[in-house]
Amino acid sequence: MAAGRAAAITIVRHASISWLLAVVVALALLLVPGFAAPGNLANVVTQASALGLVAIGQTFVIAAGLIDLSVGQLLGLSVVLTCALGQGRPELLLPVLLAMLALGAAVGIAHGWMVNRWRVEPLILTFGTLSILQGIIFAFTDRSVGRAPEALRWIANERVFGLPASGLLLVGAAGLAHLLLRRTRFGVRLLATGNDPESARRAGVDIARVRMLAFVLSGIGATAGGLLIAGRLGTGYPNAGQGFELDAIVAAVLGGASLAGGRATIVGTVAAVVLLGVISNALNLLEVSAFVQTFAKGLIVVAAILATRARPAGARRPAAATAPRAASGIVGR
Amino acid sequence: MIALTTRPSWNAASDALARWAIVCVLAILYVIAIVLSDAFLDPVYIGNILRQAAPVGIAAIGTTLVMILGCIDLSIGAIISFCAVVCAVLMAGEARNLTLAIVVTLAVGAALGAVNGFLVVYNRSSSFILTLGTALAIYGLTQIFSGGTARGIVSPGFREFFNFRIAGVLPVLALSLLVLTAGAEAMLRTTRFGRQIYLIGSNPEAARIAGLPVAGVTFACYVLSGLFAGLGGIAVLARSGVSSTFTGRGFEFDALAAIVLGGTLFVGGWGTVVGTLAGALVLFIAFNLVNILGFNYNLQLVLKGAIIVLASAAYARLGRDR
Repeated sequence: MAAGRAAAITIVRHASISWLLAVVVALALLLVPGFAAPGNLANVVTQASALGLVAIGQTFVIAAGLIDLSVGQLLGLSVVLTCALGQGRPELLLPVLLAMLALGAAVGIAHGWMVNRWRVEPLILTFGTLSILQGIIFAFTDRSVGRAPEALRWIANERVFGLPASGLLLVGAAGLAHLLLRRTRFGVRLLATGNDPESARRAGVDIARVRMLAFVLSGIGATAGGLLIAGRLGTGYPNAGQGFELDAIVAAVLGGASLAGGRATIVGTVAAVVLLGVISNALNLLEVSAFVQTFAKGLIVVAAILATRARPAGARRPAAATAPRAASGIVGR
Repeated sequence: MIALTTRPSWNAASDALARWAIVCVLAILYVIAIVLSDAFLDPVYIGNILRQAAPVGIAAIGTTLVMILGCIDLSIGAIISFCAVVCAVLMAGEARNLTLAIVVTLAVGAALGAVNGFLVVYNRSSSFILTLGTALAIYGLTQIFSGGTARGIVSPGFREFFNFRIAGVLPVLALSLLVLTAGAEAMLRTTRFGRQIYLIGSNPEAARIAGLPVAGVTFACYVLSGLFAGLGGIAVLARSGVSSTFTGRGFEFDALAAIVLGGTLFVGGWGTVVGTLAGALVLFIAFNLVNILGFNYNLQLVLKGAIIVLASAAYARLGRDR
């Protein structure tokens, strides 16, 4: 009985964001003039793709019971460097691409190292590195620099068989991330670490390594998102990454991730990213001011949390939602 | 028996070190500052640094209480912005509106804090994401209310009062920071409410079983956090004289940095308001030092980040983090 109920709760909780997305899209198709135009739908996907990559990375970090506030400025740094180093020259595309992914990995390794070695609270650590990265960006430039390589502009703006290339990229990345989280030992260990680090450690999980890899994935997600933004903007705008960190966290949480760790789904995160994009697009088409949109977004976040997270005192998380090997019971932070 | 008597005293030494670490850091940084520039010997300049630190420092007082409870409040930057706009609009450039404007502004701050408190108490979910959501909503309200530009005119005498230097040295705004900090610290140490905050923060479950009013204290701390953010909004207005939509943007993280530098822990049950003030002063003295030495703003950002990372690493080292 209890297990069945827990499983039912799990299904409802994980499916709720997808249902919400379906309802909102249906309403938008029916009520918002211009929403159904193929060009507009492609636009929504294109705009969601960069945030999608960042949010997927953030989902891994949150699943491990950590958080990464630095992703916005890391994305900004990647935008600026891609354009400044690439200068739109095709022969430099591959080196720049690899350098940016390596940059993301390196920042992730630094975060993981500091969390493991110094036991610093990840929230405050990554706020510190956010500030450092912002300083580095503005020491480098205070205005738009360089030019994005042609191939990146193509991926960010063009379509393949009528589908936006960046959307296909997002789907591919989400598929890989989903398999990594659900079908590999690393995924199991990640969720176990987030659920209860001490039990995971006793069960033989190298939690330091897991945390390090989670930060690396987050860093790579951020710089990959930066490549897409660079392609869309065409030039290295130093403020490009502002606010991405909070949007990514909001998307992961709306998608069903628990900030206490141990619970997260890639499908939910991507659905939440698209949901945020659809709402913003529909409100734009309805000519609702940006001010009201910000207000609405805040209300949506609070309402979604209230709808999905209300639980009586002392209630445990449904065991089925966490990793099989994790010891249940103790809710983190 | 020996073990019983020596261990606690060693722990007490470690406790004392953690408690006063930030004051030591502040003293060392100040000595370095004096060596590098004799401007730091000028009392008027010290008054200026205190005045600079006032908006973040005042707002951080309320958030410190929330953090001692083991929760977090990311909406204070938004509340500061909203309150600054509300206050400027209500003053409308008339001296007779001054009292009403300040009272209403503080009520608005406390009311927004009450919304946060209600949500956190009712939902028992992560205060991080809830206050992130209310922050967005409040920024939206601020933009709607202000129309996206600076709005409202401060009353004549408002800025003059807060920037008046007592005995030609200490601005009223700086004095307010010191008085509010001392008041909050006294409240934490001497009142039953203060002790309840620490007890709940160190073990909410035990506090609930022991019959402490966990919900009531949590709610009250969020109301205070909103109220101090309202005071912070007034302080921003007193410093700059203009209220733009994003006056307080990012203040929540600056406050968080000051709080963590001051030795307050994320897990709750530990922290002081005086530490938070010292943390804020460390940040602002470091910023001023960067300016005086002729480096630009970018280095301030890097330095801020480095101070935050290193300080939290040092606290973890002192063994108080786990």
